[in-house]
Amino acid sequence: MVNFVALAREHWVNILVPMGFVIGYYLDRKQDQKLTAFRNKSVLYSRELKPGEEVTWK
Amino acid sequence: MLMILIPTLMLIPTAWASPLKWLWPTTLTHSLIIALASFTWFKAPSETGWHSINAYMALDPLSTPLLILTCWLTPLTILASQNHMSTEPAPRQRTYITLLISLQFFLILAFSATEIIMFYIMFEATLIPTLIIITRWGNQTERLNAGTYFLFYTLAGSLPLLVALLILQNNTGSLSLLILQYSDPLNLAPFTSKLWWAGCLMAFLVKMPLYGIHLWLPKAHVEAPIAGSMILAAVLLKLGGYGMMRITTMLDPLTKELSYPFIILALWGVIMTASICLRQTDLKSLIAYSSVSHMGLVIAAILTQTPWGFTGALILMIAHGLTSSALFCLANTNYERTHSRTMILTRGLQIALPLMTTWWFTASLANLALPPLPNLMGELTIITSLFGWSWWTLLLTGAGTLITANYSLHMFLMTQRGPLPHHITNLDPTHSREHLLMALHLLPLILLMLKPSLIWGWTA
Repeated sequence: MVNFVALAREHWVNILVPMGFVIGYYLDRKQDQKLTAFRNKSVLYSRELKPGEEVTWK
Repeated sequence: MLMILIPTLMLIPTAWASPLKWLWPTTLTHSLIIALASFTWFKAPSETGWHSINAYMALDPLSTPLLILTCWLTPLTILASQNHMSTEPAPRQRTYITLLISLQFFLILAFSATEIIMFYIMFEATLIPTLIIITRWGNQTERLNAGTYFLFYTLAGSLPLLVALLILQNNTGSLSLLILQYSDPLNLAPFTSKLWWAGCLMAFLVKMPLYGIHLWLPKAHVEAPIAGSMILAAVLLKLGGYGMMRITTMLDPLTKELSYPFIILALWGVIMTASICLRQTDLKSLIAYSSVSHMGLVIAAILTQTPWGFTGALILMIAHGLTSSALFCLANTNYERTHSRTMILTRGLQIALPLMTTWWFTASLANLALPPLPNLMGELTIITSLFGWSWWTLLLTGAGTLITANYSLHMFLMTQRGPLPHHITNLDPTHSREHLLMALHLLPLILLMLKPSLIWGWTA
């Protein structure tokens, strides 16, 4: 049987970089949402989306 | 943006916490994963040109190729240092890897900064890990001298930039790259504005380096360990080119008349440094001078202020980054076997290491800009834009390419052809690691032939 404790003790460091990816992806998403919070919401610039168009600007 | 930056930071605890026998494979694998993840930047959709924006960082077509080159180079430096670091004690190995990772971190921040002062701080911050790598892990005592040259040339060049930037901040109220090109020109006295122009560019001209202020570069390259040489040639010099491209957009209309002597000096430097390569006995010094020669073309191209000039400069920077780093790796494979950089002592290696000769051949061809490699594309675009500036430059650029071909051939023949010297009695066989290293350098170059628009910058 594989010794899971030894395996975890030896290789737990491999989780750090993938964890960084997850945190980074989450923070990027949050920042994108913050920066596009008012997209197509202002009275001056809002418009009807064309067919097949997802957002007014990227 | 943070999706690359935070994993880069996480590499540092990874390097310190992983068991020694897994240290190099772990850091290599994770940094390679980060490099592969950075390729997503090529595909970022945007209508404004800027993408992956957050409060302090953003990417545009100019910085994206340089950032991906930075991420790509880190695993390669780890791969290249593995052999000569294996005899050192564990904490020193970990410190070395930490320095390489911190260099990647600072470089990412420098290339993606939206505020020029942030770029400036990161530009200076890259000096620290590089200086430690050179002065601590260099092979000879001259490394201390090289470190002093490196530090003081770059610092003396970049302090005027700080003053110039503070003047700009004082006058315009912002140093954001996103809006800087729309700001009004500064109202300075004629002589002061010329000084300000020089202050803005001098840091980058030293970093590139321009002929005449290049003396730190051969010293630093010769004395640095392999990872230092690789990252210095491939990315740190490009900080200068990147900074120049960013800052010249707001130096109009002064650049038109003031750039004249600098273009001439850069082109004269192309010929002079290429000629120095022809009579060079030290292999690493030869490659370093060839870098100065290629960067001369880049300086001249940027100073012409044309779209073709900028595109050519970016293409040549990326292509040269991969090529010169590959050549330094090859020089290091020789050095690890013969412990000599002198070309006359390491001749005829084709007989002993034939597959390595194939890599030498390919890298030499890339260095002399064989069609259809991106190196040629960059040089042709630059030569064309310079020809548009003044047709006399063709004499200098033409002679430059001719001498480049000559010294690349000289380098290849001296190291690979002829009989093996009698004092070389036993050589290690080549490692698969070294072949992988070379393949990872030259493969991107070959792939870039298929889709060159990735590195065309703003005009793509």
